[in-house]
Amino acid sequence: MPACPRHLKGPPFDRRSRAQHNQPVTPVRTFLSTSAGRFVATYALVLSVSFLVLALRPVNDRVVNPYTTLVSHEARLVLNLLGEGAVVSGQVLSSPRFSVAIFNGCNGLEAILIFVSGVVAFPASWRRKLVGIVVGFLAIQAFNVVRVVSLFYVGALRPQWFSVSHVFIWQSLVIVFGVVLWLVWARRYAVERAHE
Amino acid sequence: MPSNARTSELRVFLRRLPLALVGAVILWALTRPVYAPALCATAQFLARVFEVPPASAIVLQGGDAVLGRTDMRAGSGWLKFPLTQIHFNLVPFLALVLALPHPLSSGGWRRLLLAGAILASSHVLALLWQLKYLEAFSMGPWSGANYSDVARNVYGTLRYFFDIPVTFALPLLLWVGSYPKQVFALVGLGDPVRR
Repeated sequence: MPACPRHLKGPPFDRRSRAQHNQPVTPVRTFLSTSAGRFVATYALVLSVSFLVLALRPVNDRVVNPYTTLVSHEARLVLNLLGEGAVVSGQVLSSPRFSVAIFNGCNGLEAILIFVSGVVAFPASWRRKLVGIVVGFLAIQAFNVVRVVSLFYVGALRPQWFSVSHVFIWQSLVIVFGVVLWLVWARRYAVERAHE
Repeated sequence: MPSNARTSELRVFLRRLPLALVGAVILWALTRPVYAPALCATAQFLARVFEVPPASAIVLQGGDAVLGRTDMRAGSGWLKFPLTQIHFNLVPFLALVLALPHPLSSGGWRRLLLAGAILASSHVLALLWQLKYLEAFSMGPWSGANYSDVARNVYGTLRYFFDIPVTFALPLLLWVGSYPKQVFALVGLGDPVRR
């Protein structure tokens, strides 16, 4: 077994209790003293702060809205490759057949933040985290364009299925995709390379 | 534990995930007829706890919750809100749990129930904040007379957090928090789960 790198040292599930040192123990403290506990706490903190920053009006106006417009243009590009003749006006994507408005929550930013928070909270070196963030960002972007384009066609061809596809199917898939991406990054890159 | 064995843990998980997703959708579809009315009733109960007279109302209508107040004239200021938007995250959470190796063994049931209770609580609160947001912002002069600027900001922030970050991130947090050994074994940290 190769030597464990410094940032991964220490048993991940070290549940040696403070009772050994005659200190009071709480289940939450015990959990937070493990790697998993630290991951969950850091993840929740990074995620809360990043969503709080996104909610600020200047950030919304200068980052979120232009980003959403960019997503609309990416989807337009794909739709036009498929011969739809789509145009973008603000954050509304429309063609003679159908129109969709891309709002906050549909632009993929939430999935990106969830993935990035998972990467930041994971015990790996900052270089590996940076690679994970860049690759994950691009992968989720691509996934979200597929989502927008597919929803466009669902709306155009089967409008009665639009709501269930939008809220239920694609949002569930976005969460699962983010988790799978994080697992693969952590297993194949962050940990495997760390052990090399 | 050899690296190949750990990688195969992840492979098995990824292979099981699509089937687990189907299972989760079936479970969700089966529990929804009971879950949706319970969700509306609990959120309405909480909304009315500190109200005099208790007039906040959450009425289930198909798959939607209709939010409003019974002390206002009929048809004014009622909002139809799709409940799926609130509780769809049960599906990815259940799928992630079911795809794990032996998720219900050695106390797994207990942890699943606890995580489920936390997720259900987040749904109740999400619906409650939707109602409070509606009352604080969308009922014209009545909102201005009954909710201060501070209250409006608080309810706006709570609604935002429960609408997007909590809805999307809680399944992952509960999954890692409830099954840390199995999840960290998947990524190669900690002891893998015995088969």
